[in-house]
Amino acid sequence: MADVVFLALSVITIGSAIASLEFRSLIYGSIALMGTLGGIAGFFLLLDSPFVAMFQLAVYVGSIAVLILFTVMLVKRELIFKKIEDKRRKFVGIALMLIFITALGSVIMDSGIKSITTDEPAVDFRTIGADFLIYYWPALILMALILSGSVTGALVLARRENVENDQRTD
Amino acid sequence: MLELSSTPLVIIAILGTVGVLLPIISIARKEKGSNSFYAVIAFSALIVSIGYVAYQFISDNILPSALFSKDVLVDDAFGGFFAIAMLIVAIFTTVGSFNYMRKKNYPAVYYSLILLSTIGMVLVAYSTDLVMLFVAWELMSIPTYVLVGFIKKNPSSNEAALKYFLFGALSSAIIVYGISLSYGLTGSTNIGEVIHGYATLDASLLPLALLSVGMFIAGFGFKMGLVPFHQWLPDTYEGSPPTITTLLAAGTKKAGFAATIRVIVLGMVVLNLDWTLALGIIAVMTMTIGNIAAIMQKNLARMLAYSSIAHAGYILIGLAISPYSTLGLQGSLYQIMNHSVMKGAAFIAVTGIVTTLAVTNIDKLKGLGRRMPITSLGLVISLFALAGVPPLAGFWSKIVLFGGALDAGSTIWWAPWLAIAGVLNSALSLAYYGWLTRKMYFEGETEKRVSEPKSVIAIMIFSMIFLVGFGIYPDPIIKFVEFAAPTLSLDIMP
Repeated sequence: MADVVFLALSVITIGSAIASLEFRSLIYGSIALMGTLGGIAGFFLLLDSPFVAMFQLAVYVGSIAVLILFTVMLVKRELIFKKIEDKRRKFVGIALMLIFITALGSVIMDSGIKSITTDEPAVDFRTIGADFLIYYWPALILMALILSGSVTGALVLARRENVENDQRTD
Repeated sequence: MLELSSTPLVIIAILGTVGVLLPIISIARKEKGSNSFYAVIAFSALIVSIGYVAYQFISDNILPSALFSKDVLVDDAFGGFFAIAMLIVAIFTTVGSFNYMRKKNYPAVYYSLILLSTIGMVLVAYSTDLVMLFVAWELMSIPTYVLVGFIKKNPSSNEAALKYFLFGALSSAIIVYGISLSYGLTGSTNIGEVIHGYATLDASLLPLALLSVGMFIAGFGFKMGLVPFHQWLPDTYEGSPPTITTLLAAGTKKAGFAATIRVIVLGMVVLNLDWTLALGIIAVMTMTIGNIAAIMQKNLARMLAYSSIAHAGYILIGLAISPYSTLGLQGSLYQIMNHSVMKGAAFIAVTGIVTTLAVTNIDKLKGLGRRMPITSLGLVISLFALAGVPPLAGFWSKIVLFGGALDAGSTIWWAPWLAIAGVLNSALSLAYYGWLTRKMYFEGETEKRVSEPKSVIAIMIFSMIFLVGFGIYPDPIIKFVEFAAPTLSLDIMP
């Protein structure tokens, strides 16, 4: 049963990821991205990590993907994006990706990873919370600084300075 | 237990507070300009931080290179060494921006992002936990993505930012993959526990441990600009504001080396892996390709970018031989400290040239020695120090590095070849540094002297004193390096 669910989730996750890259429409692309992020939440559920799965749904699907969707709808995207497609590069990229995945997959499958048994109970979310506050607390402060830097940086980059005319593609 | 007065936490407090407050002050003041006001605040915060690190060293409050800790950070000499190198680079960047950022928009955000990125760089060196290291890595990287594209109207700045961001995101993803593999194998993110877990790993799982180390090499290698992960580097260094190139070439690159020493080199010792030969080959490829490509460049920033790739190769020699000779890591650290000043000064000289003359094409630098004498002298001294010409500081670091490679020759046959490759590459680099010097001093006749930016002059004078002073009397810095360099052997196992 777990194998069937795993395969289904893989198809949803990878399929949506490819779709989000390939859709011409940014809105459809953003919706496909939600599928990828949701699929990853499914993997976490399969791995007995319901707490992380809920976070994945709440943060990535619920807020980040929705934010991207709103941004796409608010931006005059036809002024910013120019469609250039280089088929040769695309195929080289796909070939490189396949080689990379095959090499990685063969190393992982040939190792003794299948022999690892995980019969330990799922980690309690209270333990995760305690770890964050006792052990990882300096990392939490840095995350706040990352957020602060990202927001101020993004605001400056997004602010208009007659860039629109300079970058008009048509 | 991490004390609140420990160096990394105090640096977070000082630079973090000022970094977050700068944009808020700018909003409160309702003005776009006044670059020098924000520059002075950022500069003061950096001076206080470096002063605190120096005070901690002087008052013996810093542990010898501990490498492992039960916490996510450790206040040790290794971290302190990198903190000083990176804070010097951040000060160079800030002072160099006094003139460069004049009449440009959003100076408060600009300096704020420099401070936040500096916290990330410094904290990478202090990290003893993979999650902490990754978060610090992102704090270092994300502000620089914005800073590289800060001049929005410049298309090459935008292109540089996009390339840098895409490669940076890829490298972060690879690092996370490496972390997840090591966590899966050992059940911990603490570097000490991960390495202990690796030492007792079932033989069938060893390929996965190797894979995780490979992921770390690739992920950190992007930031260090190692061949073959270097393609983004010349375009980014050329397109970004020259002050920010200083931060990237002399600062974030070093954070990559700090992370490599914390994770990969130690992993090699425990896993008894022959990654050393792979690192040796990468070192030779990196310095050779970097130097050959640098010879062919006609743009000063691009030439320095390739020279920066070559220098990553020199530093890597020390890491490759580190399990076999104590001089290996010492040489790498020594070169890292010198490179911060040499490359920092060279790129700040480029900033001065761009601000005053708006050129970077080498053919247009004829007679620069007469037009901007102090900047030119500072640039030439840094270039010769980069080449390792005696009696400049760069000479001694290369002596220790190459001496380490010869010393390791008693254990591994290929180590002396690294020294030979290093010496040949240093000679090769003299060709393009000498060519540039000739253009600046022996070509052109009619050029008149122009006014040089005072902030650039200040950095040039500091760099000249550092490079010549520590070239003639290298003892203090050698002792500092010996204190900061960790000893790599199985005895240091946590």
